[in-house]
Amino acid sequence: MTQPIRRAHLRIWIVLAVILYAVFAAGLSARRDAAPRNPNLNWEHYR
Amino acid sequence: MSLTYQAVGWNRAKKVYDSVLGCAVAVYLGAFIGVGSLVQPYATAETLLIRGLGTAALLLLHVILAIGPLCRLDKRFLPLLYNRRHLGVTMFVLALAHGMFSLIQFHALGDVNPLVSLFTSNTHFGSIAEFPFQALGFFALLILLLMAATSHDFWLHNLTAPVWKRLHMLVYVAYGLLIAHVTLGALQSETSPVLAITLGLGMTVVIGLHLWAGTVERRKDGFVSACNLDEIPDNRARVVSCGGERVAVFKYGGVVSAISNVCQHQNGPLGEGKIIDGCVTCPWHGYQYLPNTGASPPPFTEKVSTFRTKIVGNQVFVDPAPLPPGTRVEPAEIPHA
Repeated sequence: MTQPIRRAHLRIWIVLAVILYAVFAAGLSARRDAAPRNPNLNWEHYR
Repeated sequence: MSLTYQAVGWNRAKKVYDSVLGCAVAVYLGAFIGVGSLVQPYATAETLLIRGLGTAALLLLHVILAIGPLCRLDKRFLPLLYNRRHLGVTMFVLALAHGMFSLIQFHALGDVNPLVSLFTSNTHFGSIAEFPFQALGFFALLILLLMAATSHDFWLHNLTAPVWKRLHMLVYVAYGLLIAHVTLGALQSETSPVLAITLGLGMTVVIGLHLWAGTVERRKDGFVSACNLDEIPDNRARVVSCGGERVAVFKYGGVVSAISNVCQHQNGPLGEGKIIDGCVTCPWHGYQYLPNTGASPPPFTEKVSTFRTKIVGNQVFVDPAPLPPGTRVEPAEIPHA
């Protein structure tokens, strides 16, 4: 019972490796530069 | 007769395991919030808590996913496996707290039901940068809930092992959803590269370990350990689960043979029978099979699958690939028998 499950695990992880790295790469490439911090604005004052 | 189940069968090892786990989670959350409040003084306590719970759950999920292949590569990691369910339930609790706080923080202050708001406030499904990543986390949490709720022997026995295992293999779907949840969510607004590097490393370690363990096992000759010779009474069998089928490993006349455990007559348990007149005899209706061919002696025509066997030391190994019913297999000789 163990061997077929382990073969299934290997196949799943081969597919996951492709999909997850693709999602990760797509997510990283889609990142935009966040607006730079405004040094004149101190959020602490608004708490 | 009745069978009762305890929520947790506590013993010393489990108490130590859970104490270490509880302390590690508390230290992590304390350190994350403490350091976070120093590095990002503009972040609110709620934000730090949400981030701390989320990263703690994700880190724990990586540890959980790494334990399986580590144990297959090196038996010294086995103690981590014994109470892996406790890690899973803890991870779910952390993820649930992260989800609940996020729902309150980002969706509970309007006039729309928070769950409705979760699915309707962002519908940019065509955009990677603005993808509604929170819904991905919600579905991952649903899977983790299902798994945490069934992480008990009660469910293992009642659902049966194959169904329970398939259910718990949904963790891979949850993992994929969570990687997408973080990549399309927190990673989009995070200016520091720490999260991206850590997530990339975590994925590489988990994926690498699984592929490594799987590849190492494929290189083996296919035989799996079935039992010790001493565990098989003379002229009887020990039944083992092998290759998705129950296999009856018989010891007789100084040799060992393995055949399918299922009688062709009415699916009787051949492994519970014994060898009479040189034939495996089904305990239900007396149907007989030769142990080295799986075929009934003439004039009968029933045949069951056979399996290759070998003996190393005191250990019996069986090749889980069933041979066509009636295929002759040379029995494995018991040394010094």
